[in-house]
Amino acid sequence: MSQASALDPFAVFGLARSLDLDDKTLEQRYLRLSRECHPDLHRAKDTADCIAVLQRSAEINDAWKVLRDPWQRARALVELLSPGALDRTKRLDPAFLADALELAEEVAMANGDAVPPLRTRIAAALEADFAAVRAELQHGAVDAAARRLHASHYHRKALQDLDAKS
Amino acid sequence: MAYSDKVLDHYQNPRNVGSLDKDDPNVGTGVVGAPECGDVMKLQIKVDDSGKIVDAKFKTYGCGSAIASSSLATEWLKGTSVDAAAQIKNTQIVEELSLPPVKIHCSVLAEDAIKAAIDDWKKKQGATKAAEAKG
Repeated sequence: MSQASALDPFAVFGLARSLDLDDKTLEQRYLRLSRECHPDLHRAKDTADCIAVLQRSAEINDAWKVLRDPWQRARALVELLSPGALDRTKRLDPAFLADALELAEEVAMANGDAVPPLRTRIAAALEADFAAVRAELQHGAVDAAARRLHASHYHRKALQDLDAKS
Repeated sequence: MAYSDKVLDHYQNPRNVGSLDKDDPNVGTGVVGAPECGDVMKLQIKVDDSGKIVDAKFKTYGCGSAIASSSLATEWLKGTSVDAAAQIKNTQIVEELSLPPVKIHCSVLAEDAIKAAIDDWKKKQGATKAAEAKG
């Protein structure tokens, strides 16, 4: 785990922990926070002050990176709600993995006209993953949400592989 | 990071790629994955009446080390007994393929796949015997 993930990015931004953040609000807050403690604008009086400003500015940037991406935001949220959840749930259902393997094969074989519908299907699977993560979190089922986040990796990778072909 | 010659060899010429009939009572199937990197490994064994592994196949979707680890595993499995197969350790795979520390998880995946395949076969054997005793 990187140091950035040890911090609560929601707290850095002064936001309630939630999977659904408004993009515009988030960006506005990022710009405001950045302005407030930009190392160039913020003339530090002494060295200690200067280091604090730099550190705060790094925290804001790290939190921004996590919060602006819904998937990273989801991972951070899961870990905050139940530390260790992602690690605990790594063992995925063999039936799901068998499907993931089949999908990978399908991606490897796909060409021409078969590519667009396949891309649509995988994109839909990724969307379904995110909707499921949201639903599990709403029910307080953090481990189930973590499992679905792991599952989404296979769909994302399949999509990347498909895009890499064209 | 450079791959060792053995990894490259297995990666370029993977042994025993394919599938066995997963519904065959003498076939054990193990499917395991490493979600961090999106790797999946399917390993299957076919066992005869004396408990000897007569065939082994794999399909792996992942990096070169994951493919090499499972390819090597199937080579070791063929012709050995189920009991001996259960003793295979990931460290042996690491040693044989000279895997670097960042790729050790690939060998762990292969060991997990072997164990899962054996468990599946044992479960099927138990079910078959129970059915025979009942029938």
